[in-house]
Amino acid sequence: MSFIDSLMAGLSLVASVEAFLALFVGIVIGVIGGAIPGLSATMAVALTLPFTFSMQPITGILLLLGVYKGGIFGGCIPAILIKTPGTPASSATILDGHPMAERGEAGRALGMALWASCTADLVSNLALILFAGWLASFALNFGPPEFFALILFSLTIIAGVSGDSLLRGALSALLGLMLATVGLDLVYGTNRFTFGDPNMMGGLNFIAVLIGLFAIPEIIAMAWNPTAHLGKARALGNAKVTIKDYIGSFRSIIRGSLIGVFLGSIPGIGAAPSAFLSYSEARRKSKNKANFGKGEIEGVAASEAGNNGVAGATLIPLLALGVPGDVITAIIIGAFMVHGLQPGPMMFILNVDIIYGLFIGLIVSSVFLFIVGSVAIKGFRFVADVPKRILMPAVLILCIYGVFAVNNNIFDVGVMFAMGWVGYAMMRYRIPAAPFLIAFILGPLLEDNFRQSMLMSGSDPSILLRGPITWFFWAMTLLTIAAIGRAIARKQAV
Amino acid sequence: MSPKTIQFQLGLGACLAAAFLVLWAIPNWVSSPSNVSNIVLAPVFWPYALSGITGLVGLGLLLAARGASSAPDAEAEPAAADGLSWMRLGALAIIMVATMFALPRLGMVWTAMIVFVLTAFLFRTRHPLTALICAVVIPLALYLFFAKVAGVAIPQGIFVRLP
Repeated sequence: MSFIDSLMAGLSLVASVEAFLALFVGIVIGVIGGAIPGLSATMAVALTLPFTFSMQPITGILLLLGVYKGGIFGGCIPAILIKTPGTPASSATILDGHPMAERGEAGRALGMALWASCTADLVSNLALILFAGWLASFALNFGPPEFFALILFSLTIIAGVSGDSLLRGALSALLGLMLATVGLDLVYGTNRFTFGDPNMMGGLNFIAVLIGLFAIPEIIAMAWNPTAHLGKARALGNAKVTIKDYIGSFRSIIRGSLIGVFLGSIPGIGAAPSAFLSYSEARRKSKNKANFGKGEIEGVAASEAGNNGVAGATLIPLLALGVPGDVITAIIIGAFMVHGLQPGPMMFILNVDIIYGLFIGLIVSSVFLFIVGSVAIKGFRFVADVPKRILMPAVLILCIYGVFAVNNNIFDVGVMFAMGWVGYAMMRYRIPAAPFLIAFILGPLLEDNFRQSMLMSGSDPSILLRGPITWFFWAMTLLTIAAIGRAIARKQAV
Repeated sequence: MSPKTIQFQLGLGACLAAAFLVLWAIPNWVSSPSNVSNIVLAPVFWPYALSGITGLVGLGLLLAARGASSAPDAEAEPAAADGLSWMRLGALAIIMVATMFALPRLGMVWTAMIVFVLTAFLFRTRHPLTALICAVVIPLALYLFFAKVAGVAIPQGIFVRLP
């Protein structure tokens, strides 16, 4: 199928009111979810997922992508107004956004955040369109040993989402890998940790685990301290962002977008490191470097471009290789699976219409983000006024309905509650949840490809190093481990 | 809790969990066909490998605990609003367990209404009337969406059935 044919097939799939409405509504939900501290873009995507089950695949996935993009932007609103990032990706925005709000320029900071976010989003989407197909055609040459090496490499990148302790991140990933072994064995069909319960034989439901891990701990934390969230929002002020501000920050925005695209296309890194790297690069290159950290608008632009530049790029490994780029795309994989789609190189052959439909939808999403974001900046006060002690019970009810709807199974609700307490214990012990989820998703793939490789070779491990592709991923894995080791050594030396 | 205590407890927990998995859980709860000659292909290989690595990470955490700070960590021990925090946690756990029993008997909508009210008051809401209205409206709205739009068979319970 030619490029034009694929584009037309995608257009015929996506050119409907429902698809664009889903995208628009998704962005609205995402901005609201991202703007409420404690809800986060991740939780917003997880909570929206069950609503997509009854939709057409393209409509459901566009809804989730809208939530994702809206959520990443929405996180900047509380970061600037109340010094609380709505999502971890917005942490860098606080550095200059909140000082601007302190001196009555919150509207200007939010405006720049929106403009930078939309520009970076567009750049990221274009990168996705350019590179995903190329990577997928390359990945068609992959067999089980290549996929094993790739997934192992993706797991080493968990270091990027491990927070301040690599060992705790590794422990989290191991818990996820171990939990992924529950169910029938992939090769022999024998029981593993099923305790004879038929509910356990298919393994633990992915959506129950992820909602339990990300949404329920926030509810439990509210039981621990119901007043911890109380804060004070800042006024927007009269100052607004101007074209001159935008042009003045344009280089930082484009640089941040490209940093976001590069880091986003590597599985596991996510938006927060990208935002900080973009911010530090902007600070290093800026004429106003002395103002950074004191309310410099270029700092807001750089950090927002950095985190939004990731949003499209994380879909490159997802669509081309079937490996999630970050936690949110890991959740979005669930939507693909529920609709019987398997992201990866074969999707570019079997479901090319959906791929191109998504590309078209993503380009439109940048425009929708600008429209919704402009309104959200003015309307955030109403969102902030939702009492959190009403919101959290509502989230709990939504979780119960949503998790039940996946398989019509009450057992899944129990899994979600149990995982909620595990997630809360992890929160208290400062064990990051992201490595757990990524490992839980990648675990079966890793084991499956390992055992398939062993079956192919008659248990000869040299098959895992059978060609240039595996050498490349093994080299990348070793380089990553060396870089992690160096970073730890440096940290200890300080 | 200080970072030192956290690292130590986690390290000890990981080592104990690894020992439990290797010595008890995997031999008893993972079935492996007797005709599998190569351990690498056996269903027990992966769990054993992961348990071994967990043990190593646990040892790493124990070693790291030696050099960790003994100063209290505010993030790991969030400030409690009052002396009732543990009681509220216990109450929330009871609500969750009760939910599991109530779902097949009362149905999802009625259970959700009760859970909403209980949790809102557990969180000491300052808007009791709003909480009561939301407790009725939100479960009903979700029921309408999931049952009528998405076609999900929402549990109806054995007492009062919704149309």
